[in-house]
Amino acid sequence: MSAAATTPLIETRSLVKKFGSFTALNGVSLRVYSGEVHALLGDNGAGKSTLIKILSGVFPPTSGEITVEGKVVSFASPRNATDAGIGTVYQDLALNPLTSVTRNFFLGRELTRFKSPFGLLKMNEMHEIAMQEMKKIGITISDPEQAVGTMSGGQRQTLAIARAIYFGAKVLILDEPTSALGQKQQMEVLKTIRRVQQLGNIAIILITHNEIHARLIADRFTFLSLGEVIGEGTAKDLEGDDIKRLMAGGAKIGDLAKELAV
Amino acid sequence: MKNSATTRQESDRLETKSWLNAVLARPEIGPIGVMLLLFGMLGYFSIPAGEFSLNPFAGEGFNALGIRNNLRVISQLGIIALGAGLLIIAGEFDLSIGSMIGFAGACMAMILRWGFAIVIPYLSFDGGMHIEFFTLVHITDVSALTAIGITMCFTLFFGWLQGYIVVKSGLPSFIVTLGGLFFLRGLTEVSLRAFNHRPDQTKGATTVTEIPDIKNIIEVPGYGEMEREAAKALPEADLTAIANSLPADTIAAITERLEYTYNRVAEAKTEILIAKGVKPMERALENALASGNDYMANIIQDKIANFKIEPVVAKTVTDTDIARVYLDSITTARPVANFFGGDILEPVFDWLYFPVDWNTNNFGNQFAPGLYSCVMIWVLLSILCYIVLSKTQAGNWIYSTGGNLNAAKANGVPTNKVKISLFIFSAFCATIFAACQVFEVNTADAAKGNLKELEAIAAAVIGGIVMTGGFGTIMGIIVGAFIFGIAKEAFFYIPGIDGSFYRVFLGLVIVASALLNENIRKRIMGTL
Repeated sequence: MSAAATTPLIETRSLVKKFGSFTALNGVSLRVYSGEVHALLGDNGAGKSTLIKILSGVFPPTSGEITVEGKVVSFASPRNATDAGIGTVYQDLALNPLTSVTRNFFLGRELTRFKSPFGLLKMNEMHEIAMQEMKKIGITISDPEQAVGTMSGGQRQTLAIARAIYFGAKVLILDEPTSALGQKQQMEVLKTIRRVQQLGNIAIILITHNEIHARLIADRFTFLSLGEVIGEGTAKDLEGDDIKRLMAGGAKIGDLAKELAV
Repeated sequence: MKNSATTRQESDRLETKSWLNAVLARPEIGPIGVMLLLFGMLGYFSIPAGEFSLNPFAGEGFNALGIRNNLRVISQLGIIALGAGLLIIAGEFDLSIGSMIGFAGACMAMILRWGFAIVIPYLSFDGGMHIEFFTLVHITDVSALTAIGITMCFTLFFGWLQGYIVVKSGLPSFIVTLGGLFFLRGLTEVSLRAFNHRPDQTKGATTVTEIPDIKNIIEVPGYGEMEREAAKALPEADLTAIANSLPADTIAAITERLEYTYNRVAEAKTEILIAKGVKPMERALENALASGNDYMANIIQDKIANFKIEPVVAKTVTDTDIARVYLDSITTARPVANFFGGDILEPVFDWLYFPVDWNTNNFGNQFAPGLYSCVMIWVLLSILCYIVLSKTQAGNWIYSTGGNLNAAKANGVPTNKVKISLFIFSAFCATIFAACQVFEVNTADAAKGNLKELEAIAAAVIGGIVMTGGFGTIMGIIVGAFIFGIAKEAFFYIPGIDGSFYRVFLGLVIVASALLNENIRKRIMGTL
């Protein structure tokens, strides 16, 4: 990991985003290296969502710049971001529960016999690829025709991640992947993230509320509060209490305990 | 026990289904059951009173004419159900289908009857301000293809417009197409009145009649193009001349057929006469037996056994007969009109009459000439829709647009284009429906297609289409059309009940299907 740590895969330099008079982000700089899980932590309203929306091309920053593999980029639409290799897996996963695994895996980018919306689907090839790609990051599905609605939350998450990687994501943004899942499913998702990490050529930005999950999996941390970075470091740099304190927006846990005791 | 917790995979939790279970889990299996039940009912109840047969094809529902007429009802509904069903799968509704049928039919008929013109009104100041009209284009004697083409321009544009309004405004398609329903029906009535009664536009009829029977225009050798009926009504001398001009083998073939027909008719007449003579005696016999008059009964029995009647002599084949049969066999000079309004499979129905002797009515004549052309159009459209929905990229887009609109958008599916295209396709199906009607009966009526939009949606729902979108198959829509069409016919034959019970029955079937569909959907969504 540290070998690749010379140029970051994706970097933001003092990103500022203003919505009218409200400053959502106030000069956020972030460096994410390939083969690393970079946890982005912060309380509600800290600016995490704004940051990932800028990175995935939903809206442009007011000022500041983004570089991918050292080159400055700007995104006019989510499509641009995807083309630049930034794959975002949102909380709702962008899946259609009523259709099959394969149909979801290739949704919008189906393999067809000739290039036209009316081109016949290469179903067998698509089945094979979908199974393979999901197996690579750890889930064997018995039937690619299985409706996504019948899959577990963890399996769906894996499907969405496998899809993003297969379609060229070098930077994977995972938006709260473990929320709304049961304990066992959360572990499945973390295992999946670990496998993606081990592929070595993909940088993962993990947005989470869950400090335990972050500590289990992340190599590097960035803490946001009120639109600013209030702390960052590698897993080694940060001691247990630091993480809790920074997540709560910088307040000391001891202070909180005192407040609660009153 | 020790290892099971670690070796068991998440994927193991999905049971692998046996072949039978897989078939039973198909969403179409319930509707197919209902369809078979209705098939049985139609066959059984349409067997004439007094006869008994377990063969459903012995009944009137499945004699040649029954099949011809029932398939027409089913396939016409099937055509619009395809448009309605695909649109529902993509998550939208079209309530304007029925009015679109009326509009398209009237439009075609008016163009065929009065021609087509583009007229531009402008303000003129010569002798006071008034509006004048400048005729840009005026064509008369419009061909069937042109009439359909011009009508398509209007209807497809209207379909596009409805789709465009729906996707751009975000209004529910229910409201937008409800507007379309009233707008088009009104427009149809207004324009029909206006064209039928030029000076006073409030008085005219809302129908178009006196359109020639275009599909039956034939090229008669030596006489040019004329309607088949007109040709058959030519003076005897002309018909004889036509017959004499035919090659010998054609004459021989036609003669053989006519002799067969005349013999069958003669046989049938003889049978009818025997039945007429015997029936009163049989009644007398019953009375005699009932009153215990054995002597009388014996005499009557004797009489019945010896009842004879001079068999009816078959007509002889004349030249005019040969000429008429020949005129019937000439293929149309207007294939487009025939494609929509004509008959198909005539050779098969001929074969069923001549060698098979099944397609025969009570008087010995051929019963049905063939199937209505709309059956073929329905089959073609169904195959096309099946391929698009199940086998192509567009199909996956349709499913995802209705299944999860945001997911589809996030993955780059052009959901607006998908929806607009399906609104256009729905209008297309309605126009095809109208073309089939106009070219079949050669009239148009502003009331045509009334309530058809609801029938189409009902057929789709019965066939397993989920109203919230994203789920359903073409096979289901086809089965739904069958159920709707057969129910209409089957209840008519049940003795002792009002034919309108079919609506009661369909009402129950629709709600039951919708419940079943919702159950299947929830099972797939994992919420049940």
